[in-house]
Amino acid sequence: MNPLPFDPLLVSIVAPLLAAGLLAIGLPAKLGKAVAAVGFVLPALLALHCWFYFDATGADYAYLTGYDTGLGYFGINLMLGLNGISMPLYLMAGIVGLAAGLYALQSKAERQPLYLGLLLVMQAGLMGVFSSVDVFFFYFFHELALIPTFIMVGIWGGRDRGYAAMKMTIYLTVGAMLSLLGLIALYFKSGADNFTIIELQRAVLANGLSETVQSNIFALLLFGFGILVSLWPFHTWAPLGYSEAPSSAAMLHSGVLKKFGLYGLIQIALPLLPEGFAKWVCLFAALAVFGNLIVIGLVTIAQSDLKKMVGYSSVMHMGYAFLGLACYSAVGIGGVVMMMVAHGLSAALLFLLSTSIHHRTKTFEMSDMGGLVKHAPVLAAFFVAATFASIGLPGLANFWGELAIFVAAWDFSPALTVVSVSGVVISAIYGLRSAAKVFFGSESEAFAKVAAEQKPADLTCCEKLPALILLVALLAIGLWPKTISGPVTAAAEATFANAPAAAVDTAALSR
Amino acid sequence: MSVQFIALLTLLTPLASAAIIALFLRKQGTLASIVSTLAAAVVAAGSLTLAFGGSRFGADLGAPVAIEWLKLGDLSISLGFLYNDLAALMLSIVGVVGLCVHVFSLGYMHDDSAKARYFGGLSIFMFSMIGIVLADNLFMIFIFWELVGLSSYLLINHYCLKQSAADASKKAFITNRVGDFGFLLGIILCYYAFGTVNLVEIGHASTAGTVVAAAIPLLLFCGAVGKSAQLPLHVWLPDAMEGPTPVSALIHAATMVAAGIFMLCRIEPLFAAAPAVALQTVMWIGAGTALYAALCAITQSDIKKVLAYSTLSQLGYMVAAFGLGSIEHLHDETKTVVILSAGVGAAMFHLTTHAFFKALMFLGSGSVIHGCHHEQDIFKMGGLSKKMPLTFITFTIGVLAIIGMPGLAGFFSKDAILYLAMENNTPVFVILTVTAVLTAFYMVRMWKLVFLGGTRSEDADHAHEGGASMTLPLLVLGLLSVAGGYEAIYGGHFDGVLKQVAHPHGAAHVTILIVSLAVMIVGAAGALLFYKSGPADSLQQKVPGAFAGLNVLKASFDSAYGYYVAKVQQRFALLLNFLDQILIAGLIVRGLSGVVGLFGLAARALHTGNLHVYVYWFLAGAVILWALAAGTL
Repeated sequence: MNPLPFDPLLVSIVAPLLAAGLLAIGLPAKLGKAVAAVGFVLPALLALHCWFYFDATGADYAYLTGYDTGLGYFGINLMLGLNGISMPLYLMAGIVGLAAGLYALQSKAERQPLYLGLLLVMQAGLMGVFSSVDVFFFYFFHELALIPTFIMVGIWGGRDRGYAAMKMTIYLTVGAMLSLLGLIALYFKSGADNFTIIELQRAVLANGLSETVQSNIFALLLFGFGILVSLWPFHTWAPLGYSEAPSSAAMLHSGVLKKFGLYGLIQIALPLLPEGFAKWVCLFAALAVFGNLIVIGLVTIAQSDLKKMVGYSSVMHMGYAFLGLACYSAVGIGGVVMMMVAHGLSAALLFLLSTSIHHRTKTFEMSDMGGLVKHAPVLAAFFVAATFASIGLPGLANFWGELAIFVAAWDFSPALTVVSVSGVVISAIYGLRSAAKVFFGSESEAFAKVAAEQKPADLTCCEKLPALILLVALLAIGLWPKTISGPVTAAAEATFANAPAAAVDTAALSR
Repeated sequence: MSVQFIALLTLLTPLASAAIIALFLRKQGTLASIVSTLAAAVVAAGSLTLAFGGSRFGADLGAPVAIEWLKLGDLSISLGFLYNDLAALMLSIVGVVGLCVHVFSLGYMHDDSAKARYFGGLSIFMFSMIGIVLADNLFMIFIFWELVGLSSYLLINHYCLKQSAADASKKAFITNRVGDFGFLLGIILCYYAFGTVNLVEIGHASTAGTVVAAAIPLLLFCGAVGKSAQLPLHVWLPDAMEGPTPVSALIHAATMVAAGIFMLCRIEPLFAAAPAVALQTVMWIGAGTALYAALCAITQSDIKKVLAYSTLSQLGYMVAAFGLGSIEHLHDETKTVVILSAGVGAAMFHLTTHAFFKALMFLGSGSVIHGCHHEQDIFKMGGLSKKMPLTFITFTIGVLAIIGMPGLAGFFSKDAILYLAMENNTPVFVILTVTAVLTAFYMVRMWKLVFLGGTRSEDADHAHEGGASMTLPLLVLGLLSVAGGYEAIYGGHFDGVLKQVAHPHGAAHVTILIVSLAVMIVGAAGALLFYKSGPADSLQQKVPGAFAGLNVLKASFDSAYGYYVAKVQQRFALLLNFLDQILIAGLIVRGLSGVVGLFGLAARALHTGNLHVYVYWFLAGAVILWALAAGTL
């Protein structure tokens, strides 16, 4: 149980908000940085604490606390808690947030206090998303984290920031709207008394929903959340947005916030709407495997811009996640959660390192790099490690999720499994190609010129620390997956093991 | 200390060494080399203690060690050891050759600027390789299988500023991944077919008569095709010679590339239970690789490339031996017919002797390259027998062993394979015999060009023997290349494997002996007479057509793959990228944004700037909200 005298979940949300507020008032630069640092460190420590003392069994919630918001009339109460599925993601949000924050602290961004403030608001939102038991606040915190993303892309983004910010805003707003519609519809159709997931579950079980209703609501949630997770063909905002976004925002969005959609599908859509799921599963599994994994995998190979490559690879990996969801089994869903955590860490690390590479090469164009290892061996080592993590090398976290998803997928559809396993070759191609182009081989002319002007230095301590935090987390889970898998499997089994087998009709696919 | 603890220590010591080097010794190359070599010594000691101490453990053998590593739903992945005679033999090879290579590296890599990275990589490799050897289930094999791929990638890429090294490392990893694609599917298939991936349990299920689809062993074999560089995934191994020479000796000759054969032997019951087509496929791929690589080796001018193609060819020998399968054998004393897993026996026996003599020759070539100031072209060497006598003697032992000189290690293991082929499949016997002629031919060609005649370059003039750390491993491996063929030196500790080797008797014995002697003499004498110690290839001068033909044969796979990657895959990827940009990002989304724009116009129409209108809108919104809250809507 929680030995702290206060609710760690609430504090982890309030602390960054408070820090952001203090920064907004205007503090002297040094003090402001210190306050921001506290705002980033505290959630991470509290997340570690919650991970360490986590003691919920099955799909139950630990640290469950309710707060009156004055909106009780609408069934809206702030209720915080963690179950086996949300806890690892909450932990990941804390760690990635810390890394992104530390990286932002050392960056020389213009108007740094505003930058840090927005990042802190984002961080608060992220901690809130995964600790909310109440669907309304789950959605609210997502928006709280999303809006700073738009602003950050708009202000600190790259060359195309205006277009990227607008595209991201339109896409993500539409996605969020659709899912909101779905959530509201679910609330009314279930006849629940309030917006908590627990109550929704109870109500759905008690009242039951007709197949048509399930199917329609599921479609809203699937496409709403799907846009947010960049399900093909609703993905085009992602590579563009990430390539334009400032590094810390890209880290937080691609690493953590993007998982909101998958999380919503796992916690709400799948368990509550099994018949709706059965209606749509073939479509989204096919989209994920052929669209995200194969098409986007090949598109990733074609990228010559490092950050776009990382962005596309992140879209590709979501294909595995959707395939895992399609399995509707404890192995599959457990694999998806493991993968979400791992992908959050590795994608954030790759975005961080890409920016550090950019500082040294002054370009994201990979053909204008080469031989950087000579100047920055430590950076090279980190990048190679992050690349191997993202292509699923055992010993690093991503492997477990992918493996579990592949194993589970065979039960769902052998044909799709065969197609999806070829993804391991595709990701090895683009991953190792980028490592070779950036770091190894002979220097390109363009880079030789840049290097002559200003000799590139190796990773500085301040850059190393956030990268190290992420890499250690990847290694810890990779070497000992039970650091997080215990609660995951308990919750996944409780929720998905007794799934109505008849509900999943995959005959259409195998035919 | 319990035996399981020794095994665990053997596994984890190199990991600890790698971790220490990565964390603390990045800039202290000398210290790193000592740490890593000590770790290798612990491994060698541990593996020999275990093997010759006689203890075996794992399921069925008592005292199984396994812990659960990951559990998600019904999927449970465990870490466990299966230490039977097969694993004991393999572990001993890894330990002995590993230590030799570490010691040799102390001298060879003495002046390297990235020594710490190199020795760290060697330690990671030792850890991963031992993991494969000890693993008791397929998931665990796969995990360490990928990790040896990583260490191979890191070590091939040691001279990472060289474009060719960067390309070769990438190629090695990706080609292996293609094989692993099948391997992983095979494991998943196995998991569903048997409900387990534990090697012992799979063995029980297979021998109990479960019908095994040929797809399972064949998919698993894909892994071996990648790792052991069989046709058509062999292309990475010759390129992998970009790595430092001791790495080539350890990883790309003696141990890692042999892991594929070891893995096949581990899952042999699956092949036995599957339709014959599975084994036959393996046999033909092995035989094809053996012949193809031997042909390629003839025209090579880089000393390491000759050895690389020779390794490919010998690996093909082992795979073919495995594919030849079992044999009925009349037991000497009891006079009863027993079925020997002769394929496993012959493959593992040859794997063992090959590990010794090929590591010896690679290290010998390293000694030559080191002595000639990193000259690798055999046409620029010559006359090294006088400059480097010790290297010359040990290298000669290696050459004699591989071409099958009676009394040396290779003679026994090669004869075991030839005998098996003669009994089981005549076409394969012919292919392997031709391969043996070619082997003697290209090996003696290289040997003559490197060591005999006069020196042909300044570097060769100034060639010199390396220090004790480089000559000692040569002596040890030279000794093993002689003694490795005699069962006596194994002290009966690996009988589970070596007793499966089929030995010819009577007339068959004479036939095999004659064939094998004839093969050696024809090949060796041909090369000795044909090649002159000159700066140009005699074959190129005398029969340019054949020379060019062999080169085309060698390049055929690479150019086909090159064409596919550059012209098909890359263009297809670019096309998809274009469609992604234009169709989805451009037309559809811009079209969508047009629709949104219309909404915007409509919305703008509502914003009349008239306060009254706003008030109405606000009231309407409030009513809707109220209706929602009251649940009337």
